[in-house]
Amino acid sequence: MRSLFLLPCCLFAWVALSACKDFVEPNQLAFVMGTAVDRAEDGLIEVSDQIVIPSQLSGPRDKGGGSDAGSSIVMSATGRDVFEASEKIQRKMSRRLMTSHRVLIAVSEAFFNEDDAGKLFDKLGRDPANNMRDTTIVVRGGSAKEILMLRHPLERLTSIAAGKELQINGLTHFSSRQLILEHYTDGVRPLLPVLQIRKLKTGVKAPVPFAALSGFAVLNKQLRVKGILDEDESAAAVWMSGKGAYQGMTIPWKNGQGYLSFRLVHLKRKIRTRSCGDSKCAELVVKAQAYLLENTTSLDLSQIRNMTDTERYMNAEIQKEFQRTVNKVQQWGPDIFGIGEHLHRHNPYWWKNRRKSWDEQFKTLDLNVKADIRLVSVGSSGGQMK
Amino acid sequence: MNANAVSRSLKENEAYLRQRFHPSSDIVFRAFALQDRTPLLLVYLDGMASVESIEGNVLKPLLFGGLPEGIDRMRTLAETFRREWVPLANVLTDESLESLVKHILQGNMAILADGEASALVAQVQGYEKRSIQEPLKESTLRGSKEGFVENIRTNQSLIRRRILHADLKMESFTIGEYTRTEVMLVYMQGKADEKVLASVREKLKGIELEGVIDSSYIEEWIENNSFSLFSQIQNTERPDIVTASLLQGKVALLTSGTPFALVLPVSFWSGLQSADDYFERFTFVMLTRFIRYVMTFISFALPAIYVALSTFHPEMVPSYLMISIATARENSPFPTVIEVFLMMFVFDGLQEAGVHLPNQLGPVVSIIGALVIGQAAVEAGIISTPIIIVISLTGVAAYTIPRYSATLPFRLLRYMLLFVAGMLGFVGFAYGIIFLLIHLVMLESFGTPYLSPVAPFDGKRIKDLFIRYPFWMKNGRNKKGRQS
Repeated sequence: MRSLFLLPCCLFAWVALSACKDFVEPNQLAFVMGTAVDRAEDGLIEVSDQIVIPSQLSGPRDKGGGSDAGSSIVMSATGRDVFEASEKIQRKMSRRLMTSHRVLIAVSEAFFNEDDAGKLFDKLGRDPANNMRDTTIVVRGGSAKEILMLRHPLERLTSIAAGKELQINGLTHFSSRQLILEHYTDGVRPLLPVLQIRKLKTGVKAPVPFAALSGFAVLNKQLRVKGILDEDESAAAVWMSGKGAYQGMTIPWKNGQGYLSFRLVHLKRKIRTRSCGDSKCAELVVKAQAYLLENTTSLDLSQIRNMTDTERYMNAEIQKEFQRTVNKVQQWGPDIFGIGEHLHRHNPYWWKNRRKSWDEQFKTLDLNVKADIRLVSVGSSGGQMK
Repeated sequence: MNANAVSRSLKENEAYLRQRFHPSSDIVFRAFALQDRTPLLLVYLDGMASVESIEGNVLKPLLFGGLPEGIDRMRTLAETFRREWVPLANVLTDESLESLVKHILQGNMAILADGEASALVAQVQGYEKRSIQEPLKESTLRGSKEGFVENIRTNQSLIRRRILHADLKMESFTIGEYTRTEVMLVYMQGKADEKVLASVREKLKGIELEGVIDSSYIEEWIENNSFSLFSQIQNTERPDIVTASLLQGKVALLTSGTPFALVLPVSFWSGLQSADDYFERFTFVMLTRFIRYVMTFISFALPAIYVALSTFHPEMVPSYLMISIATARENSPFPTVIEVFLMMFVFDGLQEAGVHLPNQLGPVVSIIGALVIGQAAVEAGIISTPIIIVISLTGVAAYTIPRYSATLPFRLLRYMLLFVAGMLGFVGFAYGIIFLLIHLVMLESFGTPYLSPVAPFDGKRIKDLFIRYPFWMKNGRNKKGRQS
């Protein structure tokens, strides 16, 4: 009977005395939505955090002015490493920085090329306060900080906009977790989206600067940017490295008159390797289903012969185009397709000696692309409209 | 002979009874004589006995017909009455004045004759009683519309009518020194567990109460653990629930003066099951049960989870949701825990006010409650909108539990969990849930573990928790020969 009352009393005392110091109200938190990393002088790192101002975001009862630029601020500081710089930002803030909700890490190209970016990502992998679901991007031509300061015409925050832009285009494998994994894996090299500031006319007013996706950066083992693929090559490379969806494709018809446009679904890729001589030969098979959506040629696709013809031609075209991209990447050296990882798993002994020099080995690897795309629909009208 | 024995002298008996009932005004002494020879006395309580029955069955034949041959000296008057003259079904003779008093108090009539050392007691009870109505608290969409009433005889008949089997037993107990309330132990012989029956009988005999106003008095006296939040005895107004429980081998207790019957033993889950579960199509029942279980969890855990998530683990909330919570809470003057506590307190306060108000005033409270708390508090920036959502959802969730008394432990648990979660976040919440589970696992209702069939696990019976199989299936509940 006595213990019945004593127990709750003890519990109460223990709970009350344990001084709830972990307790943080949401209005004592500064939500970091995006982080930019730039080079500063004397080998220091400049870290900039884009922080949401909740009172400026339009809540359920918006009294106008929600779309103002005032919905976020960018705070920067320099330091010898990420932590030191972040601490300096924290000292200027009235609220505790909360990095778990970050959606974007923007790193300038200059930083990748001149600093050891691997060290940067150590903090990401080690500190449990990072959710690692944030997208890592490379900022070309300009500082990464500027990207965060830009205003997006559609979204409230540029960081959110960049994340959404990738997501809506089917590019889902570019989280910082993925980057860290690739960084620590021997047989695969990172492929990162590149954002560039462009002037864009969105209305009658003067053109506004706008951060747009403009290709993909190919990084080597040391996280140096070895080359940047243009938009068409990027789409091919993303598909071939198994990191997302190639949304559509337009190819000119044989005689150069008219174009065929397809939407591609069920995109898959497969790596096959075999021995040839003392080296290995690899084959990259890309598979998909195609829906014809636009046809400006004179072909009547209700004819089965024309259909099989188109399919064959489309495969050949894709094969040609993709092979060009592969050759370009091979010249640069980094194996963004993960052929090395495939060889690692299938020929562990063979791999053992070549692990260290894979970037060099990859350059001379016999790598062929094979396309296996089926035309499943020619749309709701057969021939050309007369 | 003791002083309480019925005396041969009518005057003495009358004097005793008059003194016993003095100064009550509702006691009636009606003296008359048969053929001017034998003085007789009728004693009854006005309002408890049916005057029509007395007039029609006793006074009329005796006064108009008389005794044609006088009173047979061979037999006592009472005996003659019983055999020949009083056309009533339930008649007995009594020789103790004190027991006569008890009979009169129950609404029976005593007939005393001069020169007789025994009295005749005729059952002529007749008082105003409520007619059978639909139980309001446990209404179902389908199924019987009859509910128990205050009269125990009516209630008995409601069960008897449903189980036409001689194995249905009803044992009577009288409890309460002053109220002398009749309590009926109802069970199916052969189905009910003898150990449970023995323990209930023993506990009923051990009750030392001055009065039994409601079956809850009995419940509290005989339950295993009065300090638990959870009731170990189910109360119901529905005869069909009692019938179904009896067929499952459970035991019911009817109490005179209340429409609430007690059913035991019960488990944690029976509070979450509704009679409708067995009346509606079983496929639909799976959905409603799922909703009910989820809502039950919400009803005691949501405020605690909200506080733990938003103030201890904001990284666990999806980014956009967390930002909108933060936006809403930007100007809140109170910490989240205090705010949630205040809202819960006010919600329960409004509810309490609503229960006690007359029906006409009910809407007033809800309007003021909705306006003042729902709108003004948010607009004034004292309370934030997510908390209003959380508390109203919690409040509504509790009402998906079909039995009112089953919602009570969850309403209390809400505060306890909020307290620990507000102090320690999810760690505290986990502590709270662990203590709750330890308690539930230890709790028993008349020998049945409270969490059965989950713990201890019973694979066959656990199916009835989530899926109600059609009755004809092997797992069906009422299948012949099956006892659950």
